[in-house]
Amino acid sequence: MRIKRAASSVVEADMTPMIDMTFQLIAFFMIVTNFEQTQADERVKLPADQLARPPLVPREDELVLNVGFIRNTKGEKVDPDPFVFLGDENVRVMDYGPYLKRERQVADLKHGDGAHKNMTVVIRADYEVPTGLIQELIKLSQEAGFEKFSFKAKSDDGAG
Amino acid sequence: MKIRRGSGEDAGKVDIQMAPMIDVVFQLLIFFMLTLKIVAPEGDFNINMPIGSAAAASDEPPPLDIKVRLLANPDGTLGQVVFGNRPLGNDAPACFDRLNLEIVGLVGSGGGFADDMSVEIDADYNLNYEYTIKAISSCTGRIDPVTQQPVRYIEKIKLAPPRRPGEA
Repeated sequence: MRIKRAASSVVEADMTPMIDMTFQLIAFFMIVTNFEQTQADERVKLPADQLARPPLVPREDELVLNVGFIRNTKGEKVDPDPFVFLGDENVRVMDYGPYLKRERQVADLKHGDGAHKNMTVVIRADYEVPTGLIQELIKLSQEAGFEKFSFKAKSDDGAG
Repeated sequence: MKIRRGSGEDAGKVDIQMAPMIDVVFQLLIFFMLTLKIVAPEGDFNINMPIGSAAAASDEPPPLDIKVRLLANPDGTLGQVVFGNRPLGNDAPACFDRLNLEIVGLVGSGGGFADDMSVEIDADYNLNYEYTIKAISSCTGRIDPVTQQPVRYIEKIKLAPPRRPGEA
């Protein structure tokens, strides 16, 4: 009896559908990922508001100040005072004046004298920060020479 | 000339090496999956506070300066919203809707003077920031219920000087 041998003993899986799917996934993640440099700090829990829509034209110069509380993993405040988060440094709001003056100098050096006047101070503050401290921060910024201000809020589409 | 043909059925079939490609593709996939960070969209409210607004106020008083006073409870929650001299309550979403209606009334009767109007928000020192944002939002505009597009009322919002606890 003659045994008909198979073409080969190696079973070749059809790779095409898997590669199709994988490319789809890659394309999806590539589109969704944004490498935009944001100066957002995750420790800040922004207040939510319906009217907060992302600006149509991104601002050129902005100085982002993240104001929030240091919280533990349960979300409880470790320190009752809010801080301005500056990289790894946490500065108390009332002590932030010298830093703002330095920001002004940096802005002027970078973009020419008086550039700080066109710079917007974007305040990203936690929803529980006392309003008075935000006002103090604005006052300190004004003393440092900044004139434009903006408050950040989370977009909120639902009711609330 | 003798052309050497491949043996048997391999002839004419080019075998592409799939393994390296799949390796790289999976690497890419994992890279993009790990770098994915979901960022909630953020919007902003412009605050109009030129330097020395308190000092220069006497030179050229703005034609219509609406004052919104926000009173706080000791724990930072909203105590009362006062529009001009009229209290609007402290039931969080509804009182801001009322504030919004008051602003609509003013802007509507002003007949397009909304550009000249400015709102000054005078909040207690310890009031939670979220209420200030709500007040700013209800003065700035509202979401049209039909079109779902934002309608702008007053763009010029400013904050009053801080009321420090010892001084007030």
